[in-house]
Amino acid sequence: MDGMVQSTRQPATTWPGTVTRAATASTLLIGALLGAPLGQAQPAAPTPTPGGIGNSDSDTRAYDKRDLSGLWARSPELYGEAPCPECREPVGWPGYGFFGDIPARTEEGQRRMDLNKPARGLELGSAEANARTDLDSGLRRAILPAFGNDPEMRCEPLGLARLITFAGPGAAMELIQQQDRILQTFEWTWDFREIWMDGRASPNVEDYLPRFNGYSVAHWEGDTLVVTSVGFDDRQWIDQHGYPLSSEAVLEERWDRPSPNRLRVQLTLTDPLLYTRPWQASTKVWSLIPKESMAIAGWSGILEDRCVPSDESMFNQVRDRAAGLGEE
Amino acid sequence: MTILRSGLFWLLAVLALPAAAHHGSSISYDTAKQWTTWARVVQFNYKNPHPTMTFEREVQGGVVEPWVSELLTNPSMMARQGWTKRKSEDALAPGTRVKLTLATSRAGGFSGIVMAIQGEDGAPIVGGGRPAQVPDLDGVPGGLQPEGDIVLPGQAVDGGAP
Repeated sequence: MDGMVQSTRQPATTWPGTVTRAATASTLLIGALLGAPLGQAQPAAPTPTPGGIGNSDSDTRAYDKRDLSGLWARSPELYGEAPCPECREPVGWPGYGFFGDIPARTEEGQRRMDLNKPARGLELGSAEANARTDLDSGLRRAILPAFGNDPEMRCEPLGLARLITFAGPGAAMELIQQQDRILQTFEWTWDFREIWMDGRASPNVEDYLPRFNGYSVAHWEGDTLVVTSVGFDDRQWIDQHGYPLSSEAVLEERWDRPSPNRLRVQLTLTDPLLYTRPWQASTKVWSLIPKESMAIAGWSGILEDRCVPSDESMFNQVRDRAAGLGEE
Repeated sequence: MTILRSGLFWLLAVLALPAAAHHGSSISYDTAKQWTTWARVVQFNYKNPHPTMTFEREVQGGVVEPWVSELLTNPSMMARQGWTKRKSEDALAPGTRVKLTLATSRAGGFSGIVMAIQGEDGAPIVGGGRPAQVPDLDGVPGGLQPEGDIVLPGQAVDGGAP
């Protein structure tokens, strides 16, 4: 590695500045539209408390508030649909994640969290990370992906919380609702889970294998679908920032459809082994995407966007070169 | 909707959106200092999580530099923009001459991230354009390399992974 760097490094090149102001403005424009964590611009403090995020949906047609079926995405612009400002994470958070009112960790929680080395969030030791003391330390410790251990970068299952909170470009999901259950499918990693509404109780997970997506049961409270999930495989991260989750965790999801084209969830993670109090995430909102808009050459629906280990391995060779590792 | 479907929208979107999901590109590469160069495609791989591409660029003295790169965009976004696997592989067939907008890895060397690709006719390939007014370093050995002491977050003292 050293040889490669030393042999190829060139004398300082005259540099007229960073990316131009126009390009930066364009980038920030799209960032503002779509909620991407762009450049160094994260000017405002995050909004820790869920709720109060508004609704840009102007559709006034009648609809069934208990019908959550459909293709949903958090970047409707990608499908030629109207922007959904409330679908992006509140201003101030670095990227996307569980966020919200992040609790302190227990001693065991901090120990497990320190074992997780994320490559996303604010860069460890950077001026921005050092300045953003309003953010939890877990969001200010990103390192080069080649030196990290994010399970996503080995194509390991993401786990339910991370599937739900993933809001990257094109990340779409579908809800298929039946009388006694809802099937939820996720585009990125082509994963799914079942939400049972047939009256069954949450399982005693000691009798079952832990699952990355847990065991989900649900009931209606008014027009809010309350989902309770237990039985998680504790190898998963809650989100891309490396927050841990134990097999004793309980995830409550409160889903509702506040308008014809919006789907919303409020998540609460209760995991006393790792966190000192329940953790309420920032509210996540999706926009309904018409079938004909989510289509390629007439083939509609979410993509089979798998994380294939051999593909990931090939990519990681390039990733490692970027860290000065691997073959030249 | 006309605006949303316009080329400008997609140009901006492809420049900006993938940063949200990329496998740490903002940390691995110095994306604040981009540059352009002509290059010849050696191999293009339309694969998750991001396409990769090896390419060669000829610099002063006829020296050929072999580079490895990852693309900022990803297959699902490319497909949604009409850049399907077949179309992309045809457009970036081995030997194709392209103009690349790059950011060099922070570790230096012939390693970078491709922010945008243009064909010889100037048209964007795989959905991107190129940001205005970044330095054109075509033919300059090494392109733009990092300066000064290199500090890579997470790197162990001995230079390897921690």
